[in-house]
Amino acid sequence: MDELVSLKGIVKHFPGVLANDNVDFTLRWGEIHALLGENGAGKTTLMNILYGLYRPDGGEIYIEGRRVEISSPRDAIKLGVGMVHQNFKLIPSHTILENIILGLKEVGFIINYKKISEEIKKLAESYGWRINPNAYVWQLTAGEKQQVELLKLLYRDARILILDEPTSVLTPQECRILFQALRRMAREGKGIIFITHKLDEVFAISDRVTVMRKGKVVVTKETSKTDISELAQYMVGRPVLFIIEKKESKPSGEAIIIRNLKAFNDKGVPALKGVDLVVMKNEIVGVIGVTGNGQQELVEVIAGLRKASEGSILVDGINIVNSSPDKVIKLGVAYIPPEPLRYSIAPNLTLVDNLFMKAYRYKPYSNGILINWKKIYKKADELIKNFQIISPSLSTKAKSLSGGNLQRLILARELSGLIEDRIPRLIVAAYPTKGLDIGATEFVHKTLIEYSRKGSGILFISEDIEEALMISDRVAVMHDGRIVRMFKPGEVDIEKIGLMMGGVRVASTI
Amino acid sequence: MSIQWVEQVLQLTVQMGTVYLLASLGEIYAERSGVLNLGLEGMMIMGAAISFIFSIAYGHLSAIFIAAIVGALMGFLLSILAVDMKLNQVVVGLALTLLGIGFSGFFTFPEIRKNILLRLNPSLPVEMLLTQQAEKLPEIPIPLFSDIPILGKMFFSHNVLVYFSLLLSIVMWLILFKTRIGLTIRSVGENPSMADSLGVNVYMVRKATTIISGAFASLAGAYFFIGFHPFWREGVTAGRGFIALALVILATWSPLRAILGAYLFGGVETFQYRLQLFGLGAQSPYFLAMLPYIMTMVTLIIISTESIKKKIGAPASLGIPYSREE
Amino acid sequence: MMVVDVAKTLTIPYTIKIQRRLYYSRRLSILTTFSAVIIAFGIAGLFFTIIGLNPLEVYSYIVGVFASTTLLLESFKRAIPIGLAALGLSIAFRMNFWNIGAEGQMYMGMLASTGIVLLHVCYGLIPTYFVLSLMILAAFFTGGLWCSLPAFLKAKMKVNEILTTLMMNYIAMYLVDFLIYGPWRDPKGYGFPLSVPFPEYSKLTIIFGEFAYGGLLLLCLTAVLVFTILKYTKLGFELKIVGESIETARYAGINLSKVVTVGGFVAGGIAGIGGLTIVSGIIGRLRPRASPGYGYTAIIVVLLSALNPWLIIPVSIFFGGLFVAGDILQATLRIPGAAVEMYQALIFLLIVIGEFMKRYKITITRRVVG
Repeated sequence: MDELVSLKGIVKHFPGVLANDNVDFTLRWGEIHALLGENGAGKTTLMNILYGLYRPDGGEIYIEGRRVEISSPRDAIKLGVGMVHQNFKLIPSHTILENIILGLKEVGFIINYKKISEEIKKLAESYGWRINPNAYVWQLTAGEKQQVELLKLLYRDARILILDEPTSVLTPQECRILFQALRRMAREGKGIIFITHKLDEVFAISDRVTVMRKGKVVVTKETSKTDISELAQYMVGRPVLFIIEKKESKPSGEAIIIRNLKAFNDKGVPALKGVDLVVMKNEIVGVIGVTGNGQQELVEVIAGLRKASEGSILVDGINIVNSSPDKVIKLGVAYIPPEPLRYSIAPNLTLVDNLFMKAYRYKPYSNGILINWKKIYKKADELIKNFQIISPSLSTKAKSLSGGNLQRLILARELSGLIEDRIPRLIVAAYPTKGLDIGATEFVHKTLIEYSRKGSGILFISEDIEEALMISDRVAVMHDGRIVRMFKPGEVDIEKIGLMMGGVRVASTI
Repeated sequence: MSIQWVEQVLQLTVQMGTVYLLASLGEIYAERSGVLNLGLEGMMIMGAAISFIFSIAYGHLSAIFIAAIVGALMGFLLSILAVDMKLNQVVVGLALTLLGIGFSGFFTFPEIRKNILLRLNPSLPVEMLLTQQAEKLPEIPIPLFSDIPILGKMFFSHNVLVYFSLLLSIVMWLILFKTRIGLTIRSVGENPSMADSLGVNVYMVRKATTIISGAFASLAGAYFFIGFHPFWREGVTAGRGFIALALVILATWSPLRAILGAYLFGGVETFQYRLQLFGLGAQSPYFLAMLPYIMTMVTLIIISTESIKKKIGAPASLGIPYSREE
Repeated sequence: MMVVDVAKTLTIPYTIKIQRRLYYSRRLSILTTFSAVIIAFGIAGLFFTIIGLNPLEVYSYIVGVFASTTLLLESFKRAIPIGLAALGLSIAFRMNFWNIGAEGQMYMGMLASTGIVLLHVCYGLIPTYFVLSLMILAAFFTGGLWCSLPAFLKAKMKVNEILTTLMMNYIAMYLVDFLIYGPWRDPKGYGFPLSVPFPEYSKLTIIFGEFAYGGLLLLCLTAVLVFTILKYTKLGFELKIVGESIETARYAGINLSKVVTVGGFVAGGIAGIGGLTIVSGIIGRLRPRASPGYGYTAIIVVLLSALNPWLIIPVSIFFGGLFVAGDILQATLRIPGAAVEMYQALIFLLIVIGEFMKRYKITITRRVVG
């Protein structure tokens, strides 16, 4: 058969969303195939299906012409498929060699360290890597760790390699080394699938490119037969804009001034590389960009949940960089984290507990050591009405609430001025409408706009360009740890936005 | 303070330490694979009790053998609760310890012992049925080596279980660090999902190591009784199982370092009694008794500092049940 | 739905699937708890038969404890240190702090209260009417310190608290041994390792001159205190959130180190007072191994009571009764007190398994081998 891998008609549902909608995808021998798209496009889901992490609801998988069922990563590895995720699955306290040979029965009872070490060294060299197999993984840089992940697969003769946004943790120099290695692998006949959102990478490394959007394959083309702006168009599409009725905003003073903010992410790689951003009161600033370009780290630093290495954040004249979350909350900064159930909601605690999670320690809800539950319950009733939270009772546990209601709860908690009886100075909302239905989404939008009118500044992170253009007064594009461009909705057209999100420098048109 | 005195102390140190060594070896394997066996004390005392009964009924060989089997069974029970049912390991471990202490306590009473012994071996003479002590394992000095001053008494004049424990430590160290099985065990404890995705049967590995830790804990108890102190008393092991847990940490999960730690603890215990004989005040032993625990606390604190955690720390998934989410 | 194929690990020709139940009725809850207790009885009974005892006889004694007033009173006495320690634990476990050190904290409480008595009796440093109150304060304070150290280590450096609190148990026990075999030994005690007997006014015998009542009152008051702390104070609220998730607590602006250390202090302090009741109420003086493992029993009690302060009282009385039954069985039927521990452990284990059964459904189907 001509194709190494062939995915036909793949369908995958998740609650509330069709992640893969009848997707066809092929990979040839010796080919580097880029899989391009924004977040939520479905590319990672598709590859997770190929790697056995998910089971498809419909469709077929063929490897080397044979129909296969892949029900777990173990099956995938046996079939020669390997995936390198953004989060490395390595054991830091073991050596490179130990990480690579884990689980291999061929190694024999007693490990012949010398022989295997030689083999690994040679294998690495054949791809242009220089490693010491007896080094400990915790000593390695991100790039080197990635090499170990790849060696894990190559040592097992993987013929199909999937890399999920591999360059997000690499320096430019490391990128070059990686690309060289990938080309050598391709020359050996291996097939490589390269998930990315960076347009320039597509042209640097791939032979073919498939663009996905909203669960569907938009197009598959030979890379040589297309160009950057065409791809950008395919990536973001030509949306019809819904215009929301909103009056012109009259900004009055700054809510937050961020200068040259730098910070590292959890893996020790720089995530914020000098962010400059100002949000005025009465203004909604939407930040768009592919997830993973520093948005999460930005909001965490603002909320006091992550340390910054450099830079300043001024709120009401006070520099809140590296303050405790408590201080930041007190200054009037509200934070709505993404994924409600991760830490912004305590699922086993009641509705009321969650509503007052931050406000419990301020008057009038407590004084000294005791909590005034009467006042709390009274206020809770009010909040539930104002924010239309639907729940059987106040003492229902949060985990029984729907996503939409949870988001209303969070909004009620953060926005309604529980703390010192005033509305927040700055509201930071990260992907607040993700996973919500239309009704809940509209509610979130309406509420944010309402509060911006009341005087709060709003910093709003979104994956959805349409949404951002719809409700923001100004839009910032974030790429690679910096704000690349700020503009008003309508000033810049969609393709250029796509290009910026893809990391391409676009001259400002005046 | 003669050479003889030094030799005696060292010999006793090794003999006391062997209890800790045997128990900790099994626990090291269990914890390396991610399972915390808080039932060590219960399994140890059961081993002592079983060895007591069976050495009287049938002799030493059966005592050791049956003790190991009973320990393995307890380990198996723990493995079902902790690995398959994924119950909280602290809770079930403590429950098993209490169970073991409770069961073994029954053997303190002569009538109960008599009933059991008669059922096992009806031909036992009456004095044997009511005795509170068993026959101690014979000392087997290794010819030539045991004549070396100091070291001879320390390492080469012991009963068979002591030699076994030393050999076992070396073998287990080799297996853990030089073989594929050892690598698998260590990886399961550090990152079970990674091991799972590479084809390792995490559950099987954890069950096996838990069974091993049970068997060895019981063996340690059996050694303590018939190999060292063959006088039965209720609660005869007096928390040594928990000390073994502490020892595993002090030894930073390495079978060879466990030897050092075990003899350190053994030495401290030996000195307790020696100092009493010296009339250094009846109180001093208790200060010394605290030493192992204080040392363990310090070790715990040290290995929790960031810089050390990266190099030698507890297995990352220790105490956390593994489940492959669908 | 989490599906686990247990059989693959047991390699038998059946597939055992364990699936999480979506809901379980109250009836099922009660049914499982009840069956757990019955099965515990059954297994213990089996064991008794094997070693040549009559299980029914044994059970008649156990039940008899709760039927007789004197014995019931005796059960109350034992229940007090157990219950106090358990109340302390309910605070610790609330914030996911696995305090295995209640035993050691009790010993420190014993130590502190004995110290106050000695200061009074031997040195006359404390006026009579202060003695009891100082003892309570001292016991609370030392027990609290003993627990707040491991708590602080966990909060600041993530040191595993199970092992640290366990170690502190032994250090405390040997500290008491050291003192009681040494400087605190009663010179008029004929060489036995006992402290001077505690004077009457230090013995919590305010009500009817009997410790059981005074102690029970103390227990109830403490339960009220703990309930108030958990429900009505800022600390209680913060403990709840920390227990849910450390990340959520940080997000809510909670000062983790402070909350965990203070929570640990209170938990240890209450256990310390439990220790006071042992030396002051039950024994009347300090001696080595004064506690037959009440601190560990308290762990079982608090888990069985689902951390509920009100449930802790009856459950402690039940376990106190078991201890008394153990003593009686030892005296009459010549069964070792260890029977009690074994029974405790069995009940506990079975209830834990019952919990699991409640939440998960087990289906066994024949597997096609191949």
